[in-house]
Amino acid sequence: MVPIQYYMMLSAALFCIGVFGILTRRNALMFLMSVELMLNAANINLVAFSFQNGNLTGQVFSLFTMALAAAEVAVGIGIILVLYRNFSDVDVTKATTMRW
Amino acid sequence: MLQQPFEISGLALLAPTLLLGVTALVLFLIDSIAPEESSSALLSGVTVTGSLAALAAAGAILVTTGGDPQDLYGGQLVVDGMSLFFTFIFTSVTALVALASYDYLEEFRYKAEFHSLTVLAATGMTLMASSNSLATAFISLELASLPSYALVAFLKNNRGSVEAGLKYFLIGALSSAVFAYGISLVYGVTGHLQFNQVAENLGAAGDGLVGVLGVGILMIIGGFAFKTASVPFHWWAPEAYEGAPAPVSAFLSSASKAAGFVIAFRVFTVAFPQATAVDLGIDWVLAFQVLALVTMTLGNFAAATQENVKRMLAYSSIGHAGYVLIALGALTGSADQALVLGAGMLHLVVYGFMNTGAFLFIALVEYWGVGRTFEDYNGLGKQAPVACVAMTVFLFSLAGLPIGGGFLSKIFLILAAANAATIGTYVLAFALVVNSALSLFYYSRVVKAMWIEDPVTDLEVGGYPTGLYAAIVVAAVVTVLLLPGLGLFSGVAFDAAASMIQ
Repeated sequence: MVPIQYYMMLSAALFCIGVFGILTRRNALMFLMSVELMLNAANINLVAFSFQNGNLTGQVFSLFTMALAAAEVAVGIGIILVLYRNFSDVDVTKATTMRW
Repeated sequence: MLQQPFEISGLALLAPTLLLGVTALVLFLIDSIAPEESSSALLSGVTVTGSLAALAAAGAILVTTGGDPQDLYGGQLVVDGMSLFFTFIFTSVTALVALASYDYLEEFRYKAEFHSLTVLAATGMTLMASSNSLATAFISLELASLPSYALVAFLKNNRGSVEAGLKYFLIGALSSAVFAYGISLVYGVTGHLQFNQVAENLGAAGDGLVGVLGVGILMIIGGFAFKTASVPFHWWAPEAYEGAPAPVSAFLSSASKAAGFVIAFRVFTVAFPQATAVDLGIDWVLAFQVLALVTMTLGNFAAATQENVKRMLAYSSIGHAGYVLIALGALTGSADQALVLGAGMLHLVVYGFMNTGAFLFIALVEYWGVGRTFEDYNGLGKQAPVACVAMTVFLFSLAGLPIGGGFLSKIFLILAAANAATIGTYVLAFALVVNSALSLFYYSRVVKAMWIEDPVTDLEVGGYPTGLYAAIVVAAVVTVLLLPGLGLFSGVAFDAAASMIQ
């Protein structure tokens, strides 16, 4: 059996790649993909811990997370589409009509 | 494995949530029958009726069960005084916003979608109030968030609205991923997602897993900070509230914030009880004390520098999130926990009315086409005295003057902080007083502009829209009535908090 630490390392690495993507990418679609990576890092954790703890709660919850990620992308793509129509770009730093 | 018998009582107890869900579907149905001739009166009427029916159902359940906790679906959901109290806030804000949208949306297409998205978000919020497991908490939080993203970007040809929607969505998606990761870590340590079972198994962190649990709890705090617009996930709030249509800002800043707080109250008192957490070395009370102090100070100072009234209200909404965070920051071992949580609940209910009213006044001003800065409000008092009296009530009540319920609920928060009797909570009580004094400065700038200054240009308000006026007047009357009425209400809130803690 693969020790649980290996799964945690993998998911932590995936999570950090996601955070890095969010901090560096300007393209809104890339931003969405990075968020997906972070959610999937949570899924890896959930499934691995579910195996470790011997109950199925985590696996079932990871199914919910996947469905929610899909729903989130559906809304997100819609918003990115109207962003493109209004600003002719999907660069998240271009949309700056409001400033504090 | 035996099939669980279907719980009829469960359906009856979830009546407020189900009524809201059905209302959303009815709105879709009306729209699919006659998409082009959607009548504002019909759609607003259905939404207001549905929300008020849910409100009445919540009241009926509160009376019949007496606020005793009722577990549903194997403990995934719980209906108790706390959830019903917050359902009251969500449904009344939804009803006010729907009433105001009657005029605001007159010229727009897609009215039915607007109303059904609002009601769907309200459905998610009532579920958040009843969720009793990290799984249902996450799902209902998303159910409340996803329609909100679409609502903020509702004016799809308006650059401000689209930008606001984008920022709200991006930060929302990021914080929900952080929240999910936090849940997975807590699940890894405790092996459960249900709040009471998480609490029972917190001890498992004793053997070297405290770090994992601590990081998990911090990430969960991040998820709540987004929903309640508190530091460090507050950056979306000024943009989203400024760019969104004003009724949506009213809805998000009142109902959505309350939803974030109810779930935070439940998670941190039931799943991570303070005594157990401190034994492990995870002092989340301290984290909330710091967050409360930073949030209220940052919100109020930023609000004081604004030139745009809507943006000023957005920052003031961050400040108020800081005030309510006191309810979590004062949950120290020595505090009367029911008093502390009850004070937060009471501030949220008063805030629900006064802040919704203030944003609906902005909606009225947008409807008239008056500009957005303080100067543009000059002389409005002579043109529309009734609405401006109401706005004055909202602003002074937000500042904490004894004209509306905001005064009493702030007193309760100070009492709660003093009751906890640690240095940190005394600092919080002091900061609350200082910040309220500062907030009086920028709130009274609006009042001064409306009543004292002379208009720069020839100002002519265009009509007196019935729905908007009705919503503003109702909100103002309730805000004033809550000053004497909070005495009656406080018993319900303290009982609800007490029954959740034990």
